[in-house]
Amino acid sequence: MTVVALAGVTRVHGDGEAAVHALKGVSLQVGEGELVAVMGPSGSGKSTLLNIAGGLDRPTSGTVHVDGRDLATVRDLAALRRRSVGFVFQDLNLITSLTAVENVMLPRELDGVRSRRARDEAMAVLTEIGAAALAGRFPDELSGGQRQQVAIARALVGERRLLLADEPTGALDTLAGDEILRLLAARCAAGASVLLVTHEPRYAAWADRVVFLRDGLVADATDAPMASAR
Amino acid sequence: MSIRHGLLALLSRGPRHGYQLRVDFEASTGATWPLNVGQVYTTLARMERDGLVEPGESDDQGRVVYALTEAGRAEMERWFTTPVVPSDRPRDELVIKLAMAVAAEEVDVAEVIRRQRTATMRTLQQLTRAKRDSTQGRARLLVLDSMIFQAEAEQRWLDHCEAVLKEAR
Ligand SMILES: Nc1ncnc2c1ncn2[C@@H]1O[C@H](COP(=O)(O)OP(=O)(O)OP(=O)(O)O)[C@@H](O)[C@H]1O
Ligand SMILES: [Mg+2]
Repeated sequence: MTVVALAGVTRVHGDGEAAVHALKGVSLQVGEGELVAVMGPSGSGKSTLLNIAGGLDRPTSGTVHVDGRDLATVRDLAALRRRSVGFVFQDLNLITSLTAVENVMLPRELDGVRSRRARDEAMAVLTEIGAAALAGRFPDELSGGQRQQVAIARALVGERRLLLADEPTGALDTLAGDEILRLLAARCAAGASVLLVTHEPRYAAWADRVVFLRDGLVADATDAPMASAR
Repeated sequence: MSIRHGLLALLSRGPRHGYQLRVDFEASTGATWPLNVGQVYTTLARMERDGLVEPGESDDQGRVVYALTEAGRAEMERWFTTPVVPSDRPRDELVIKLAMAVAAEEVDVAEVIRRQRTATMRTLQQLTRAKRDSTQGRARLLVLDSMIFQAEAEQRWLDHCEAVLKEAR
């Protein structure tokens, strides 16, 4: 089953002389249980692609389907995002006045989950990624790599079926980075779908399929492996 | 490195006969360097001549067990304390090929890079799968990691070449 489907997506930022064609007609599908990596140079449209796939930004033309629903027709995009989509943003977006565990709890609480249970779920994810000891600290008391781990925990919490991660390994050393990818791959094996943006080949290589973006277009992709290869 | 240095390292764990050394060698290097038993015995014979190992008793199947000598231990130490210099690395075919693609006429260099990048990524995916599924020891994992870092370096270099050539156009 296809969890995200982009068809003929273009995105133009600004207009007239200043118009930037960030995406020029991208079609891409991510299936259930699939880990897809997007690679490309700076400015090639990776973040734009991810934001559009998760309904944070709208295409200028083309369509986006998440779980079979056309995002153009979804009334409450925010609710859909909270319930089914986990984001790891390139700039992390942690709330500085909340501790690590509170940051991770937040999407669950917004979803109406009781505080106690949200905290338990948040602690479970932090423990899973080996960051339980950071729970009580505020973002500015964490190293860059630790902040990254908290942002990843926030994206993983709850039963999100789709994970969109923009350079989630940016500030991590290779051992910690490998651990994050091992975790994302395990989530996929358990049925989630992941669209991962990275400029590091070693992390992209964890993906079932790697898509190369160049100047707003898909230049090439490794084919999806046989189902049995998993 | 030579096979003899690898054998010295393996013998530092205790006396072994040739067949077992071969098995240990392949297990440690993740079978990236296959050896046949003949090579192992020829090397052991030369090492014995050079005083690096000494034969001991035969086991119940008549196989000679070898042990490190003092000189052998010293040679192993020398090897591990001396950094490797890259001067004797074989020339990389891909580097030559790309240089020639740039020098030649009527070659679509960008296309050569694009094809290579996808192929290198497939290799990297295979290595990563092997690493993910590996249940073997740390030595094998580190060998896989080395190949992953090398493939990654190649991939980054290809991206770099693409960017440089694009700039130059
Ligand atoms: N809000 C915006 N307004 C105008 N231009 C934008 C906006 N967002 C992105 N762009 C432009 O769109 C292009 C694609 O940007 P995008 O952020 O998707 O690149 P990227 O591949 O994620 O790059 P990086 O690797 O640097 O994060 C760039 O030229 C960028 O300047
Ligand atoms: Mg970006």
